[in-house]
Amino acid sequence: MSSPPRLSLTAAHELTLDTDPYLSCDDCFDQVDQVCENLLAGQTMPRAFVVHLRACPACLEEAESLVALLADEDGRDVAATVQHFEDLTLGTT
Amino acid sequence: MSELEADPEVVRGNVGVAASADLFARLHGSGSEREDAIQDLHALMLRASRHQLGRLMASGYRDDARREEIAYSAADEATMLVLDRLDTFEGRSRFTTWAYKFAILQTATESRRLAWREGQVSIEVHDVTEAVAGTPERDLEERHFVRVVFDAMNTELTAHQREVMVAVAVDGVPTDVVAERLGTTRNAIYKVMHDARRRLRRAVVDREGAEMMELIEAGRAT
Repeated sequence: MSSPPRLSLTAAHELTLDTDPYLSCDDCFDQVDQVCENLLAGQTMPRAFVVHLRACPACLEEAESLVALLADEDGRDVAATVQHFEDLTLGTT
Repeated sequence: MSELEADPEVVRGNVGVAASADLFARLHGSGSEREDAIQDLHALMLRASRHQLGRLMASGYRDDARREEIAYSAADEATMLVLDRLDTFEGRSRFTTWAYKFAILQTATESRRLAWREGQVSIEVHDVTEAVAGTPERDLEERHFVRVVFDAMNTELTAHQREVMVAVAVDGVPTDVVAERLGTTRNAIYKVMHDARRRLRRAVVDREGAEMMELIEAGRAT
């Protein structure tokens, strides 16, 4: 039998993430194709989109996958493109 | 051989702008032209689905015969979704990029659902019993912060908010898996979390002052 979960600092951070400005998962899905293409064209991502991806691992995983697929199709360095995407979403840039 | 397969860009793996627009146009055609276009669309959905599964493989997702089953199933579902929503495509991206996201969503959702179903994960209501410094950080403020958040979880959140937050943020259960178990949507789960996070942040500020939240934000960014 596993013991009840205990609250860690990492989890406390997750629980208190600032998710304003609010963007729903549906809105994220609605925008992700355009945002990913713009990213590959050298543009930045909207702040609300970045905030959502930082707080929603499922949307983050899917957006990153789409970026990787588009980068691969365009003949780009997939790892470098994905790293750039992660820097913009999970990093401090 | 379909038109897309004959396109040299596709052989390279790049569905160009022209080919993407052409596919969109042919899907609005009729007869054999449309049937061929649907086959091409399905091939693209299968490519995207396999791509998503390949990324899961790279992160340790097991390789078994179910991968192709998942890929085809997700491609089938994505093809239907794209066809159903064809008239909602606004041209803000390439058509193929727009379509890919449906295949990735279907594949990722199904993969997570299967992984967590097999993992026999429980998301029953259970309170966090104790705040501990079970983390590398020993800083006094951080330990106090964890205690404040723990207390606020039990006093400021509704039972439903606490259930969702514990499942997602503490146990790490994917939002779409939690949504399925609770008979709701990923969108709704995210909104519950957004509201709960606001409550917890406000509680931290009310109890400890804005300085603590700023301190934690600064530590989070490093």
